[in-house]
Formats: sequence, C-alpha cells, structure tokens
Amino acid sequence: MTVDVAGSRWRLPFSPWHLVLIPLSFLLVVPLLWMLITSLETEGEANHFPPVLFPAKPRFANYTEAWAQAPFGHFFLNSLTVTVVVLVSNLVVCSLAGYAFARIRFLGRGTLFVVLMATLMVPFQVTMIPVFLIVKWFGVNVWEGLGIDHIGALMLPNLATAFGIFFLRQFFQTVPVELEEAARVDGTSRLGVLFKIVLPLSLPAMSTLAALTVLTSWNDFLWPLIVITSEDQMTVPLGLSYFQGAHHVQWPLLMAANVMSLLPMLLVFIGAQRYFVQSVASTGIKG
Amino acid sequence: MAEVEFRNVTRSYLGGVTALKGLNLTVADGEFLILVGPSGCGKSTALRLLAGLDKPTDGEIRIGGQVVNGLGPGERDIAMVFQNYALYPHMTVYRNLAYGLRQRKTPRAEIERRVRETAELLQIGELLDRKPGQLSGGQRQRVAMGRALVRQPQAFLLDEPLSNLDAKLRNQVRGDLKRLHRELPVTSIYVTHDQVEAMTLGDRLCVMAGGEVQQIGSTDDVYNRPANTFVAAFMGSPPMNLLPGEVRSGTLHLGGSQLTAVPCPDGPVTVGARPEHLRLDSAQADGVVQARVDVVEPLGSHVLVTTIVGDETRVIVQAPAGTDLETGTPVGLVLPAERTYFFDAETGTALLSRERIAL
Amino acid sequence: MVIAENTKAPPRPAPVPPRRRWRPWGADGVTGWALVTPAVVLIGIFGLLPVLMSLQLSFQHSDLLTPETPWVGFDNYRKMADDPVFLEAIKHTIIYTALFVPGTMLVGLLVAAAMNRSVRFISVYRTAAYITMAVSTISQGIIFLWLTDRDYGLVNAALNGVGVPSQPFLASPSQAIYVIVAMTIWGWTGFSVIVYLAALQGVPAELHEAAAIDGAKPFTRFRTITVPLLGPANLFLLVWLTINALQLFDEVYATTRGGPLRATTVIVYYLWDQAFVHFDAGYAAAMAYALFVVILLVTAVQFRLARRYAHHP
Repeated sequence: MTVDVAGSRWRLPFSPWHLVLIPLSFLLVVPLLWMLITSLETEGEANHFPPVLFPAKPRFANYTEAWAQAPFGHFFLNSLTVTVVVLVSNLVVCSLAGYAFARIRFLGRGTLFVVLMATLMVPFQVTMIPVFLIVKWFGVNVWEGLGIDHIGALMLPNLATAFGIFFLRQFFQTVPVELEEAARVDGTSRLGVLFKIVLPLSLPAMSTLAALTVLTSWNDFLWPLIVITSEDQMTVPLGLSYFQGAHHVQWPLLMAANVMSLLPMLLVFIGAQRYFVQSVASTGIKG
Repeated sequence: MAEVEFRNVTRSYLGGVTALKGLNLTVADGEFLILVGPSGCGKSTALRLLAGLDKPTDGEIRIGGQVVNGLGPGERDIAMVFQNYALYPHMTVYRNLAYGLRQRKTPRAEIERRVRETAELLQIGELLDRKPGQLSGGQRQRVAMGRALVRQPQAFLLDEPLSNLDAKLRNQVRGDLKRLHRELPVTSIYVTHDQVEAMTLGDRLCVMAGGEVQQIGSTDDVYNRPANTFVAAFMGSPPMNLLPGEVRSGTLHLGGSQLTAVPCPDGPVTVGARPEHLRLDSAQADGVVQARVDVVEPLGSHVLVTTIVGDETRVIVQAPAGTDLETGTPVGLVLPAERTYFFDAETGTALLSRERIAL
Repeated sequence: MVIAENTKAPPRPAPVPPRRRWRPWGADGVTGWALVTPAVVLIGIFGLLPVLMSLQLSFQHSDLLTPETPWVGFDNYRKMADDPVFLEAIKHTIIYTALFVPGTMLVGLLVAAAMNRSVRFISVYRTAAYITMAVSTISQGIIFLWLTDRDYGLVNAALNGVGVPSQPFLASPSQAIYVIVAMTIWGWTGFSVIVYLAALQGVPAELHEAAAIDGAKPFTRFRTITVPLLGPANLFLLVWLTINALQLFDEVYATTRGGPLRATTVIVYYLWDQAFVHFDAGYAAAMAYALFVVILLVTAVQFRLARRYAHHP
C-alpha cells in the first residue's frame, strides 16, 4: 500500500496515479482493442497501410460470414459440453477424494497422496502419447464416443486432476474440526458430515477451483489438436486454428472469428474475476 | 524545544464523516500526554496526523514551534511505536534498530554506539542478531520501543503499544515505560482505549469521544472533577453510576426518594455517584434512595452489589467484604456528602465544579 | 455427573467422545477408500499408467498405428544427441525461457506495484491487467500475427511513425523467437500481476508507515522493505513460469509452426511434430522423458538456490 503521506504538494482533483494507470491499462488492452476494430473493418480498410483506426462503417457482416464459413455452433457446443462435464466431474471426484485425504484415516493414505501428487510434476508431453493410445483403446473397446476424434476423448483424461484434490484437501483442512465433531456427536454419519456440513461451507473454494477448471478446459489446445480431426468434433480453440488455416489472410474475417471465440471466456472471466484471482493468488501463496 | 501543538485540527472525509473536530491541544516539552477514549473517538486519527501519516483537512500542527503540515513523516523528527510493532520481518533486530539512523546517513560508528546503548537500556542486547519472527511478544515490543528510542526524536508517538501483551506483561511494561520516561523525558503522546493505562501512565490525560475533546487534565482532575457524563462514566472501573432525577425548589427527587438542600437550579438533572462512594443502608433509613438488590459479586477485597433503582436504572455499589444479600432485598442507597455529582440532563455537562451537598 | 457435597467441587463436564483410533479396516477405512477410488482410478489410468507406458515407449519404435513395437534399446536417446534439429530446439527453448521468465516477472511486478493503490476505478484498471489470462493461446497467436504483420501491422505503423523501417517480425528467422517472447509475456502478465499484487497486499501497511517515519523515501521503501518480502512470490513465479516456458507449444503452433526455417522450433513443438506428424512416437517419448528430467532438475535447483538466498541480509 502506498502511504498517503503529508507533504505532497499536489492539489489535483484526482490522484496523479491515474496519469500512469490509464496509459498502462490501455497498453495492456490494445491488442484486444485492435482485434475488435479490425473485426469491424472491410478487407480494403484492413489491408491498408498505415492502418485505418476507425472503420467508416462497422461491418458486422464479418461476423455472420465467419459464422457461416465454419461450424462455430458445433465448436461452442463441443467446448461447452466438454467443459461442463469436466467441471462437474472434477468437483465431485476431487471433493470426495479431497475430503477423504483431509479427514479420514485409512490405510495407505499418506503414500497414496504422495503418489497422486507426483503426477503433478509430470509434464503433459510425457503422458500425451500413451494417453492417446489409451483413449484409442477406449474408443475401440468401450464406446466409440470416448475414442479418437470424439469429444468424449477430450473429457476422459481430465475427469479428475491431482491439483483439484490437493486444492480441496488444503481447504477442507481449514474447516474447524469441531464443527464436524459436533455433528458426529449429534448422530450424523461420516458421509453426512461431508454433505451437510463441510460442502456447504466450501462454496468459495469450489468456485475458485471451478473458475480455474473452466479456464483450463476451455482454452486447452494441444490435446484437442492431437485427438480431433473432424470439424464437427472440434472445440473452440481448435476450430479457430482450423479457421485460421483456411482464412489466414482475410484479416477482418479472422478477427471476427477470434472475437467470437474469445468472448465467452472473457465474459466469464470478468463476471467471476474474483474467483480467478483467488485461484491464482492462493496457489501462489502456498506455492 | 519539543513542544507539540494542535491548533484547531480537523480531519473529515468525503461522505460527511468527521474523525476529528477542531482539536486544540498543547503538549509541553517532556510531558507524557495520553489520548484516551473509546474506539472511533479520534485519538488514533490525531496521532496519525501528528506523525504525518495522514493530512488534516484544516488546522495546524506544530512540533518544536515549527509548523509541520507540509512535511512528510520522515521529516518531522518523530518516532512511533505501533500497536502491532511493525518490525521489519526480514531484518535482524540490529538492522531494525539501525534502519532509521541509516536513512539519515548517520556514520556507522555512531549507529553502532546508539544501537548498543539502546539495546542495553531495554535489555535486548542478546537479541540483536535474531529476527522478529524468533522473538516473543514482549521482546518484540521492546524492540519496537528501541527502534523509536534510538532515533532520539523530538517526540514519541505510541499507538496502543501494550494492547497486544498479556495482562501480566502489560502491568510490567507499564512500570517500565514510566521508569523510562523518568530517565529520558522526551515529549510523548500515547494513545489508548484502556482508562486504567491512561490513569496510571499519564502526566495529563486528554479524554476524547466522537472526534472531540471531552476533558484535558491530570488523573485527579479527570477522575474527581469530570467535566461531563461521558468522562464521568468512562473513567473508573466499575464506572460512575448515573441516575436521572429532578430538582424542584431545591429538593432532589430521585427514584422515589427525596433529598433536600441541593444547590442546583430547578429542572431535570443527571446525578452521578461512584460505586466506592455509595453506601448501603436499610431501606427505612432517612434520606436514602430506594433500591432493590439484583446481583451480588464477591471479589475478595470487596463485594460489588448491583441494585435497581426505580424500574430499570442499575446502580453498582462497592460494599465491604462479607456483604451477603439476597436478590430482591429492598435496600437504601446513601449518596455521599462530598462526592455526588450533578450534570445537566440534556447536555451532560457538569453543573457544579465542586460537589458539596448536605443531605 | 457426580456432585460432591462438602468440598463444593464444580460438577464434572459431560465426557467428550474419544477421538477415533486409527482402525484401517473399520468403517472408516472402507469409507476412506470408497471416497478416493474414483480419483485413484482416473488418475491412475490417465496420470500414472502413461508415465510408465511412456518410459517403455521411449525404448521402442512405434508409429501409433501398427501394433508391433520392436524394442530398440537406447537408440531413441542416442538419436537425440545426434539430431541437429533437436539440439537447435534446445537452444531455442533456452533462449526463450531465459527471456520470458524474467521478462514476465519484471512486467508483472511493475504493473502490480502501479496497481497496488486504492484510487477510484482501480478495479477497472486491475481487470485490464488481469484479462490477458482469459485469452486463449491461439487467440493470442492470431492477434499478434496481425499486429506484427509486415505490410499492414499496427506495430510497424507505429515504428514507421518514429522513423524505424518496417520489420518482418514473425516472418524473420532472427526476429521470430523474440516476438514470441513478447507475445507470451503479454499473455502471462495477468497471471504475474495477480501473484505480485497478492504478495504486495500481504505486506502490512504499517511496515511502510514505520519505514516512512524512519525517514525512507518511497523508492527506498520499495527497495528495502517491499521487494525483500516478495521472496515467496518470486520463487513461485520463477518455478511456475520456467516450467511453462520449457513446455512452450501452443503459441508457436498458432503463429510460425516452428518456422521460419525452424527458427522457433522449441522442444515440445519438435516433439509433437515427431509424434503426430511423422509418427515416430518412440523418439518423441524419449524426448519427452528428457524434457521431464530437465524440468525436475531445473525446479530442484531453483528451490535449492532460493533456500540458500532466502535469508540474505
């Protein structure tokens, strides 16, 4: 915090820091603004040097054309489906496991936890090839929808993460034991305590984990790139890349597609900003 | 000359809140002045304005005769002891003490000398190589004091420095503080909400409430000649009892009782009497205030009897040890001859400067 | 409850239920295992098993299609040492990491320091800083391809405005990697700012006030009080950013596809290329394992160094 000290001679109606913060914020956001402006220009205005800063008339047609050129509807639906399934699965599986690790004593708990956490150290590149093979096996032997070139394959490897377990376990440990003990004395069962006492108190932590999971899942690119080749199974980032391949010099069109792809996540981020910030800050402090 | 002066200092905020309303206060050179009052009374605000950590909306602050309104905290030659000590956690005790001197480019040898002297004085010499995280609460408090002392400033500012210590340590440090000030009489302004601390430590007290000064005076002044009902009730534990009454033609009517020869003008009054000055007598005795016993709390050396006068006014009486009464027993309260106070019923201001009534 | 008579002892409180003793095969044990089973199964199959499979794969020759995967011993690893493209990829990755990590930390710290005050609209300014976190890597790539376009890009327009000729940027083998550094710094600024802002706000205001009273000027305060207390945040970012930098892929794919002339081919890009474009999965697995080891080593070294310097005067 800056110290609001006596002795400064400024008597402006506003703090002088605005003179720093406004250009700084602008600079940080300029790439996004430029993307937006370009998305509303005609090809002639975009392919012009020096660049046209303000289009004569905003060309919304870029958006409808982009939408028509690639199955964006599918892209969004796929991303949404995958993200929702992964989110729900993570929240459920990780809270159950997290609670067990936090509060229940069972044989092998310590070792098991360490082993699971070890997976966090392994980079995705190490596991991606075998996971590809595993998912292929699922597609052939269990259900087609889980296999290569289907969105099920995008969900399967991400249904539970060691990070989620770590995060929730950490949180559950901060819930006062006395609350749970009081409930047990009142006759609640082990599981009952989890559902009636601990989970209702865990809303902030769950929201934080949810924010992070949604962001990672929606923006995931490498895994979809590996697994999906059919247009109608693509998620938004992959679809955008595909669109880029076909239209990479049609800048206004491409920018319109980009804006459409970005918008959902941007809106979610702004709306749930608090939780995103918390998710980063809390991992940062606990390291 | 390290006299500290507040001239009509006001601090108000956008939204209409005024934390300090026109404070006028002079602290003499070498004096130990205490700002005491409940939270929100403005005492901490006044201290921060003096330190330069905040800017007054109006008024002038002087240190050593010089107006310091335009100076930053580092330029006012003051030192402050914070409630939470604010020790630099990543530096050793030595470097914590030396920090202020280093900022003023004091030569190394001089710093060494002063730090060791101060450490000696506060008995923290063995802790110089440790970090704050390795110290106990009491040790940290002494380091915080040391950091202020080593600077040899014109004025000391202390912001509730004892509030984070346990009761036993607090008493001990209180004594240490008094002794320290005797040896090094630097102008000191001390903020606290604890009236016991205020009364025992201060040369003079400045009782505050709602951003305004209620009374400035010595412990004796403030305790025995309170300027208004706030001061009367704030100082002393248990607080002074305040009862509503009415004076008609020189007779005080109080809770169903009547007392004569009251030298007050007619009208409603608030009557004050301290628990240790009230006496319990039989309900049938002459000139007593009717009451009934509610709670009896034996404290070893005396007994606190809470009584109810009228419908709901609580009056606490300090009775001799061994007093044992049943709840509901009707009793009579004897108002002390020289220690009954009269206050204006509306404004709360004291009506008599010396209290003398004959019952 | 026992109420003694003469001694006037206070009544004993109701007994507290004893803490469960550890009974591994009691109801607790079963419940515990039941709760962790879904997670264990999922992470076991998709987290642990692949690690082992990958190790095995690195000693084989596989093209992901044919089921026959002959054992080739350390051939894949030896190939890495002799492969000039791989060695180039290592160099590119190192250059990238060495610039990206300090760059992001510095930018994040400066922006966070600027944003660490409560003026009006501060939440708007902060949102602007954070928002880069929400932008997907592909979107970033597309935006920067456009911004740095040689003929029509905004950056070149600005440069021309101050007399600097237009640059090829991502089209140039010598400049491309640096553009990617800049682009990813932008992308990670939001994350960095959040971490530093949280750390800065964790420094109690009183410390700054005490330092001000001690006579320290604002910049001195920042240098001697604030920055030293940022140790944990610094370590976290150092480790996290380094790990991510070594795994750079998306942004390269979105912009240069490893070019021009392999100038931006980083380890993971090459790895992916080998596995899924050239179908030399065994080789790719070997590279992935090598990268894994490197990441572990680098992280361990960073932690060790941090501990050594954590208590500097």
